[in-house]
Amino acid sequence: MMRPVLVRRDRVLPAVQGFGFLVGIFVALVLGAILLLVSDSNPVEVYERMFDSAFRGTDSLSRTLERATPLALTGLAVAVAGSMGLWNIGAEGQMMAGATLATGVAMMTDGLSGPLLIAVMLSCGVVGGMVLMLGPALARSHLGVNEIITTLMLVYVSIRIVEWLEVGRWKDPDSLGFPRIEEVPGQASLPQLFGRANVGVLVALGLLIVFSLAVSRTAWGYELRLAGSSPNTARYAGVSLRRKVLTALLLSGGIAGLAGAVQLTGTEVRLTPGLSNGFGFSGIIVAALALMRPSGVAVVAFVFGAVQVGGQSIQTLGVSAAISTILQAMILFGALTAVVFFNYRIRWAGSGDGSDV
Amino acid sequence: MSEAAVIGLFVATVQFATLVYLAALGELIAERAGVLNLGVEGMMAMGAVSGFMVGLETGSPWAAFVVAAAVGALVGGFHALISVVLGADQVVSGLALTIGGVGLAAYVGRNVGGRIPETKFTDMSIIGLSEIRWFGDIFFNQPPVVYLAVLLGAGSWFVLARTRLGLALRAVGESAPTTDAVGHSVVGLRVAAVMVGGGLAGAAGSFLSLYMAPGWTEGMVAGRGWIAVALVIFGAWKPGRLAAGALLFGFTLALQPRLQSFDINFLGLQVNQISPALLGMLPFLLTVAVLVVISWRYRHGPSPAPASLGIAYRREER
Amino acid sequence: MAVAQSDHAVWLRGIEKHFPGVIACDGAELKVRAGTIHALLGENGAGKTTMVNVLAGVYRPDGGDVWVHGQRQVFRSPADAIAAGVGMVHQEFRLVPSLTVAENIVLGAAPAFLRSGEIEQKVAELSNTYGLAADPTRPVWQLSMGERQRVEILKALWRDASVLVMDEPTAVLTPAEAAELGLTLRAMAEEGRSVIYISHKLDQVVAFCDEATVLRRGKTTATFSDLMDVDLAELAEKMVGTATAGNIERPEPLEPGPAVLSLENISACNDRGLAAVHDICMQVCANEIVGIVGVSGNGQKELAEVITGLRQPTGGKVSLSGEDITAASPSARYARGLAYVPEDRLGVGLAPKMSVVDNAVVRSYRSQRRGLFLAASKCVAFCRGLVERFGVRVGRLNDPIAGLSGGNLQRLLLGRELAEEPKILVAAQPSRGLDVQGVAAIQGHLVEQRRSGVGVLLISEDLDELLALADRLLVMFEGRIMGEYGPDVTPRTILGAAMAGMPPQ
Repeated sequence: MMRPVLVRRDRVLPAVQGFGFLVGIFVALVLGAILLLVSDSNPVEVYERMFDSAFRGTDSLSRTLERATPLALTGLAVAVAGSMGLWNIGAEGQMMAGATLATGVAMMTDGLSGPLLIAVMLSCGVVGGMVLMLGPALARSHLGVNEIITTLMLVYVSIRIVEWLEVGRWKDPDSLGFPRIEEVPGQASLPQLFGRANVGVLVALGLLIVFSLAVSRTAWGYELRLAGSSPNTARYAGVSLRRKVLTALLLSGGIAGLAGAVQLTGTEVRLTPGLSNGFGFSGIIVAALALMRPSGVAVVAFVFGAVQVGGQSIQTLGVSAAISTILQAMILFGALTAVVFFNYRIRWAGSGDGSDV
Repeated sequence: MSEAAVIGLFVATVQFATLVYLAALGELIAERAGVLNLGVEGMMAMGAVSGFMVGLETGSPWAAFVVAAAVGALVGGFHALISVVLGADQVVSGLALTIGGVGLAAYVGRNVGGRIPETKFTDMSIIGLSEIRWFGDIFFNQPPVVYLAVLLGAGSWFVLARTRLGLALRAVGESAPTTDAVGHSVVGLRVAAVMVGGGLAGAAGSFLSLYMAPGWTEGMVAGRGWIAVALVIFGAWKPGRLAAGALLFGFTLALQPRLQSFDINFLGLQVNQISPALLGMLPFLLTVAVLVVISWRYRHGPSPAPASLGIAYRREER
Repeated sequence: MAVAQSDHAVWLRGIEKHFPGVIACDGAELKVRAGTIHALLGENGAGKTTMVNVLAGVYRPDGGDVWVHGQRQVFRSPADAIAAGVGMVHQEFRLVPSLTVAENIVLGAAPAFLRSGEIEQKVAELSNTYGLAADPTRPVWQLSMGERQRVEILKALWRDASVLVMDEPTAVLTPAEAAELGLTLRAMAEEGRSVIYISHKLDQVVAFCDEATVLRRGKTTATFSDLMDVDLAELAEKMVGTATAGNIERPEPLEPGPAVLSLENISACNDRGLAAVHDICMQVCANEIVGIVGVSGNGQKELAEVITGLRQPTGGKVSLSGEDITAASPSARYARGLAYVPEDRLGVGLAPKMSVVDNAVVRSYRSQRRGLFLAASKCVAFCRGLVERFGVRVGRLNDPIAGLSGGNLQRLLLGRELAEEPKILVAAQPSRGLDVQGVAAIQGHLVEQRRSGVGVLLISEDLDELLALADRLLVMFEGRIMGEYGPDVTPRTILGAAMAGMPPQ
């Protein structure tokens, strides 16, 4: 009997690892096509529509960029923690916390000029995300509490807080009884760039560049990567692991909080419990596909923005937008599998003799 | 507040406890075998939608339950393929399973959303016991899935503690090399455990869509899968303690929609004035608090977690 | 088809096994008669553990074949080996700490249902039969190392193993436990079972075993069918090699300079909290190489960690050029001129997934900054300097170092540690597992450092290397220094006896 055994390759081309993403896209498109065929849709037509709506014309591109912005920020948030081997899977909640604090400050400060108000709101976004992350970060750095579940649990907590504000304190007096929060002041809207793309794109791009440089080029980022890659070697080199865990997680929460504030001031008009809209969860996939590298996040976020815009557009063909979520997960599964095979080869071990094939 | 309201609260507690217990029991089995599966939410969603659709089609809640379990096992098997057979990162694979499973459930159920099921699980009285005042209503006048969950919990305990298979499962979760060295198949045990765990999560999903909240809506699992993951830690990986945790979490889940009808004053606070949204945070905050307390308690000693949890095993790696 | 060898319980023929970058077995051979205790000897990395893992079905050999009781066997998994009667007691015990003694013993061969108390009773009977005391109901994590080993042996007996493999069985035992083990193994041999006993504690091998096979660099170099009259020193010599010092050029004599490293009454514990280093006093001067000789596991690793700051001593003082550094951190010690080449290169010294450049600057990144940034050009230049000066063969500098061979990893690590001109270099097993060129390169650098005024503390198991390079040899046994020897005037036999804990008076 022949049985397959995975054997580590003697030599792996590290450059090849990035291609996992491309293989993942291919796998996802094939599996997605099968799913569409099974449900009586024409995959060619669907994919064509998705492609057109995401890339054809400046308006389409602007929609893709609008979607890619929060994805890039949450992806970056996950990647900053991930470059130290930590998992922030609560970016969804930190987005809400950031947007909440930004809304609160907008309500309290009357008559600030637009740019100033926006700056204050965005800063509050960062602070809000950090505040929500503070508990999980301290619990991780000082008690070793697994950050995966704590960060995630706070997603639901932050959504409940918004629901509570919606019916209570912050209820819009003009809402005719609907649970709804007041709109943020008009001057707090991020300026538009073109079409639906707003300045948030530049904020995200700027941060991606800053963190890309910080992680790969600064001494701080070097220590972060060293601590994540080999804690013993980091200790040997004089790095404080505890402090590194704390800063990585807090920064991660802050960036996700900023994503919430950008979404609030750029795309939405008011704080709602649905503001985070799954961006935080998609951000995990984005970061995982980018192999936790901020530079890779930009590319993956752009592609995912397109997949999501495409997913919206195919509803007119009678195809569920959920296909885009499925495609995103399939891209990740495909890439995961591809990376395994970049590192391992299959050896068919027969019963004839124990030697190699 | 009326006696009926209190009994109603505890009846709902048992039902919510059953929901999270089934899913958590599945996760417990997978984790005892050393595989972390963060895809519970996705597996429950798939179970909920497939169960609901089979219920619509066949009119039999039991057929729905079985199909939901099979679908959950298949979805779990996907995680097993990626993370156990191929040895990819269990965290990434599990998260992708949750996101993909929730998405796939939404896609599969796109045409049945909002439909009213013609059938659902009906309550079943246990003759003799259901007559007992209070206890009878709370424990013995429940849908059969509740009783089944108790049996499954007891059965899991028995298998884990008292059979060769259970011994092998516990061993593979603690030390895969050891279990391999005595001749058990690490991959076989782990794949089986993850699939059984997926089956239980899928079954829990169908209990949700065919009893707890009859119907199908996107996002109806609403974090209960994640509570199940946390519950396993709370239960210290033991089926019995897991049941106690499930009742505690079930209580907080049941409390939220009911508290407004309770006219009681607690420490000067009128409880029906508390916002249901804030009460809805309780299970999640409780989870965080529990995790912190558990880490604090075990900070000097070994954690009760299976020692190989989350670590892929490849025999010839060194 | 070769003729079945009925008088051999085990025959491993021409075993070849390689791992990425390492040849563990290169045609090695092992024949064990039934009813005997057979010693398998060799240095670390000689291929002993790989050989027995092939026999136990853990590794599939790349070449050669396995015969058990005259049957050719192809083990696809440990289960196959167990079925053929091979029981293995691994060096690191394969026990599940949270399970009870009885559960561990029956694991893999348990009845389908475990009635309460049933397996415990059966295990108690088995342990009585062989006089291997072990409480079946206690969880394994509560047991001492000696008790755990008894559990491992009972595990093999539960399966009625006809061949028992013991990998370094006495490394974790007290002398009394070790003596007891000898009696147990003898009783098993008298029942007709075979025992393969891997060790490098030569005195025990001679006391316990009937026959011996010696491995060196993946090949069988000697077999002894009777250990009754074998001289300890002869065995030691076969293990560490008989090559004359001709292939390593002995460095010219130098006048040692002032003491750079001194240890005063250093004691330390190992990871298990047991005393591993006892009251060691020693000095290393500039311009000299001091060699620490000894079979591994006698406290060398702990000693090196105490010197470099990775382990706190339980007593004593470490000074560097007269300055007390006992409390200083590893990085502070490096800054004061103490460089370290650790034994576990990939675990402590290097970060396998990071690039060549990143690994090159672990020690010096703080001085490669330009403002906030780590100056990439400086780092690359620094790294390139190391690569050129130390002859590291690399692909691209930004590729992960995991792809480098052992020799190149070691050149890079050594180069990094030497980059800022240390006063003292502590090198633990620097040439272990390297190919011939790698060994020569590393040794060349050690000699060059000595010449340029550095004090070198060289911890090695390779007696050839130490005899050729060191100015003074300190023999370490069970955490103590047994004596100091001049390498050019001391016969190997005397060193071998000292390594076995019996220094000549």
